[in-house]
Amino acid sequence: MIKVSNLSKIFNGTTVLDDISVTFEPGITNLVIGKSGSGKTVLLKTVVGLLEPDMGDIWYDDIHFSELSSADKKPVRQKMGMLFQGSALFDSLTVEENIMFPLNMFTRKGMKEKRERVNFCLQRVNIKNANKMYPSELSGGMQKRVAIARAIVLNPGYLFCDEPNSGLDPKTALLIDELIKELTDEYNMTTIVNTHDMNSVMEIGEKVIFISRGIKCWEGSNKDILESDNETLNDFVFANSLAKKIRAEMQKKNPTS
Amino acid sequence: MKFLESTGRYFMLLGRVFSRPEKFYVYYRQTMKEFELLGINSIGIVVVISVFMGAVIALQTAYNTENPIYPAYLIGLGTRDMIILEFSSTMVALILAGKVGSSIASEIGTMRVTEQIDALEIMGVNSASYLILPKLVATLIFNPFLTLISIIVGIFGGWFAGTAAGVITSESFIYGIQYAFIPYYITYSLIKTVVFAFIIATVSGFQGYIVSGGSLDVGRASTKAVVYSCILILLFNVILTQLLLS
Ligand SMILES: Nc1ncnc2c1ncn2[C@@H]1O[C@H](COP(=O)(O)OP(=O)(O)OP(=O)(O)O)[C@@H](O)[C@H]1O
Ligand SMILES: [Mg+2]
Repeated sequence: MIKVSNLSKIFNGTTVLDDISVTFEPGITNLVIGKSGSGKTVLLKTVVGLLEPDMGDIWYDDIHFSELSSADKKPVRQKMGMLFQGSALFDSLTVEENIMFPLNMFTRKGMKEKRERVNFCLQRVNIKNANKMYPSELSGGMQKRVAIARAIVLNPGYLFCDEPNSGLDPKTALLIDELIKELTDEYNMTTIVNTHDMNSVMEIGEKVIFISRGIKCWEGSNKDILESDNETLNDFVFANSLAKKIRAEMQKKNPTS
Repeated sequence: MKFLESTGRYFMLLGRVFSRPEKFYVYYRQTMKEFELLGINSIGIVVVISVFMGAVIALQTAYNTENPIYPAYLIGLGTRDMIILEFSSTMVALILAGKVGSSIASEIGTMRVTEQIDALEIMGVNSASYLILPKLVATLIFNPFLTLISIIVGIFGGWFAGTAAGVITSESFIYGIQYAFIPYYITYSLIKTVVFAFIIATVSGFQGYIVSGGSLDVGRASTKAVVYSCILILLFNVILTQLLLS
């Protein structure tokens, strides 16, 4: 579980996150949605400690993370896996070396054991015969999957994904969403996913937080998102015509709502 | 003001670079890689430049000492001392600042803008140390060898040019390079090299590490890395010369 309370972040006088309080539960996929520039990436980076909050507290289970010194953050960090918006694979290392990197750094496993773990993770994200390739030789979707494999190689308790399916075709995007959800279930991780993709919201949005201009406007699940009467949220959700049609259908079936 | 702030950040980064490695073996392997990338790969350019500079130094010394009251072996002696004292340490360091410095800054800068440094931090790796320390160790250990190679090759270039142009006989050149030899000059040269290597690796590492923005900023950082390294090398050249030779 990750608990954020009264979190604010200010960049040179502009408030990018404004008094956000939210709890992210383990075992379910927590989605943070919002328009481009609403502060999703800043929220995620503040939660993981890449940015310092200007106000507020962050708790990882019973650890008061935002109070720790950077040296004391390290053990918590080793339980985090993160998928960055641009994959962030180490481009001087092969796929295999990328995934093995955390194992080399933080475990005392032998080569054979490490290879097995790498292959297991690669298989888990459906990548075959790419062990010796460099990130630049992979497609965007493959890079994302390798990055997921690297994020889960140490069995993290917390998984963070910043727009895991931006720039991917709808089918690959769906596969990645499903993968994230499966892994979350399987290892009971606390997973936070940033997205502005309504498909992801409908597919895996077990808990959804909507932020607009750095303010948390709405919180709920994908089941009730279509029926909310929050105007800013509706603006976002029904921005595309398909969603508008679905709402019209729903209103036809149930004219009172 | 900005200068003071940058200097402060530079020393804070150095503090992080010199903290205890998470895993000694991983750092060791990375250092071995950097020996090749930053050291072995620089031998070629050092050899080429040293041969030609040695040749030019010998010829210029020859044409400036044409007066018959100067003995011919002075050409050998002059070439030797110039190469050891100034050329193989300072000039080679300036050239390495261009080659090695820009490569360090652009590599680390690219890692910064593509969030690879954030990825290291998230894993709990001290990114400053992991990225800069192996490069620093590799250059500190390897650059003295480059200086020695440069001295040997430079003197050879001088001998070759001098004898080929007929301005000095092989015997007097060789007599000259052995005449009144002061071994301390080599020590002085190597001390300078080590200090310059430290400047190149840390200043370029710093410039790359603090990049923010995109690929354009990476290019700017790598230019800055070269310019600042060169200025500091020249400054410390004066300081060290005063300290070590006075
Ligand atoms: N380092 C920074 N310095 C100053 N302002 C910043 C910085 N990082 C982000 N911002 C500002 O914070 C706001 C939120 O940015 P953020 O990257 O969190 O948006 P986002 O919701 O992730 O958008 P997207 O969906 O496009 O990724 C933006 O207005 C941005 O200009
Ligand atoms: Mg973002």
